[in-house]
Amino acid sequence: MNMYKIISGLFFTLAMTLNFGFFYGDPTQLIEHSAYELFAAIIVNLIATVLKLGDRTQLGAVLLATSLVADIQLIASATVWAFAEYVAKNIGVEATTAIVSLSGGALLANSVSVILFIGDTIKSKR
Amino acid sequence: MNEQIIWIVLKRLRIPFFVIIITFAISILGLVLIPGTTDHGKPYQMTFFDAFYFVSYMASTIGFGEAPYAFNYHQRMWVSFAIYFTVIGWFYGIGAIVSLIQDEGLRRALNLNAFKKQVENLHEPFYIILGYNSITKTIINKINGVDYRAVVLDKSPQKIEELVLENFYPHVPASVGDATNQQMLKMSGIHQKNCKGVISLFENDMVNANIATVCMLLNRKIDIIIKATLPEQVTHFKKMGLKHVQNPFDIISKRIYFGITSPHIWLLEMWMYGHILKLKGRDRFPDGKYIIYGSGRMGQAIAAGLKKANVEYILKDFDSKQYIKEKESTIFGDAEDMQKLIDLGVKESASIIAATKNDILNLTILNTAKQLNPNIFTMARENSLDDLNIFKAAKINKIYVVEKILADATYNFISRPLVDLFIHEARKQNEEWAEVIVNILNNITGMNPKYFETQLNDENAYALSLEFNKGGEITLANLRRSRENKNEMLQIVFLLLKRGDEVYLMPDSQMHLQLNDKLLIVADDDTYEDFEYIINNIYELNYVLDKEDTNNILGFWGKHGKTKT
Repeated sequence: MNMYKIISGLFFTLAMTLNFGFFYGDPTQLIEHSAYELFAAIIVNLIATVLKLGDRTQLGAVLLATSLVADIQLIASATVWAFAEYVAKNIGVEATTAIVSLSGGALLANSVSVILFIGDTIKSKR
Repeated sequence: MNEQIIWIVLKRLRIPFFVIIITFAISILGLVLIPGTTDHGKPYQMTFFDAFYFVSYMASTIGFGEAPYAFNYHQRMWVSFAIYFTVIGWFYGIGAIVSLIQDEGLRRALNLNAFKKQVENLHEPFYIILGYNSITKTIINKINGVDYRAVVLDKSPQKIEELVLENFYPHVPASVGDATNQQMLKMSGIHQKNCKGVISLFENDMVNANIATVCMLLNRKIDIIIKATLPEQVTHFKKMGLKHVQNPFDIISKRIYFGITSPHIWLLEMWMYGHILKLKGRDRFPDGKYIIYGSGRMGQAIAAGLKKANVEYILKDFDSKQYIKEKESTIFGDAEDMQKLIDLGVKESASIIAATKNDILNLTILNTAKQLNPNIFTMARENSLDDLNIFKAAKINKIYVVEKILADATYNFISRPLVDLFIHEARKQNEEWAEVIVNILNNITGMNPKYFETQLNDENAYALSLEFNKGGEITLANLRRSRENKNEMLQIVFLLLKRGDEVYLMPDSQMHLQLNDKLLIVADDDTYEDFEYIINNIYELNYVLDKEDTNNILGFWGKHGKTKT
């Protein structure tokens, strides 16, 4: 058992689950999507990215790439939210769907990275 | 950038990033959760954006003040905790990133990477020079950008820095690295097609032997120019199949031998190294007894030369290190030393050679000898170029600068192969022959002629190579005519012709030339330029060959003004 594997596995999965928690719900109703959950998703995703830094294997490189995609999507989602609230001063349906669907994209990237991670685990002989 | 470097950087950045993310996240979350108060006393909750904005400028110690409203005491308590928390995290993170940039390992990796790229981008033929010192610096100055490029490896970072400060143009890629390390040699391009050879002139023969072996294994095709000062080493290297072994003491010994037995051969050699082509009185080695002071590698080599020349000599054992230890001085010449010199017979001797390892000792030995015998001919070994001025001021008859001799010989071998060959061949001849040659050269080309090397091929002699391809027969005499007036002779001497492996010293003027012949030519600059015109320009060539260019399509325009005379 490898402590590093446990921690990284935890963060990869947590990033996905938190993201799912935020994404789940009616995409037009902002009330069904918690800002705290988005915040948590961003932080956990960033940590997951940092954990993937410096892995020289081919798999490590792909994991890092998917993780960066998730980060970009989630930060974009938060940016849209802040922009709609403070600059446009109106969170309409369009902004809401944008926020939710951006996090949906991030969820997809998270899922890819979790699948790759599981695949790697299955492949290993121990 | 190299993959390797990216991974080093990323791995090292993990913890700093991690710390920054965690501290920011906790501080932001705290600010969002703690209820605040607006200007009007109403309760409000900070949004994530407000909190992110505030923490960002707090952590980086920019501090724009409390926003969006002045904080209440709940918030301030949290913020005072968060300030220390985030600022420490931020400083640690930034500090780690900055120290990473300054990291010795990373810098080395970056430098090495740049070096590798520069070597790969060299398209001209180049030499790998191992060790940077005044010898190799002279060689670089002579060959860099003219005939070849240079790549330098040296163990010590200071030496490489010196080289960088020298600002060679074109750029000389240089790197810190062990010359015996295969990896470093590979990075210096030993496998590259345009690598001509490796030059290794280290003081230590063992190091040179080591390098030679490694280089031979890495690439058999390149020239390995190596220094060896002991006869056993020289034979060992020759056995290994090395073409060029440099032994500075051997060169000095040969020079003294030829200087005594056949001054004109000596003159021809020295002329190739920049001496005027005339034997002056003070160049002549005197007849009589020679004293060699110091029986190290150089002393023994000179003794061998003198023995061959049948000259009476005394080889005096002298350990400079021990002398300095015993007398605690590098000044030779107290009463005891003087007595020693007198015992050796300095008053009756014709010449004294100071050949110790210490320059100041050499100088003082000769000064003392001169005091005892003002007419004595003095010769000194000088080890380092730095002391040259002192030696010149001391009015010593002959100074043998080991470093310079080594540098010149190496340069000749690399860039003036025919000159090297000529010296070699000339040494096999006798004094009368050399005197005749010197007279011919003086008569035709003057006292201080220059020499040029050329190969008769498409690139250097376009017209000639066309003529060869047509089957034309051209002799050296044909080419010796002036393009101003073909009945006049050019003031030019063909010293040596090399065809394949055959060497013709002073080739016969009726000899037929062939494509790819190599010529060593003596002339002045203008005459050589004329010669280059003749061998490159069809019309000039036809004129000196006495041919009307009727069968040439361009013949009509090609009617050269001069052909009508």
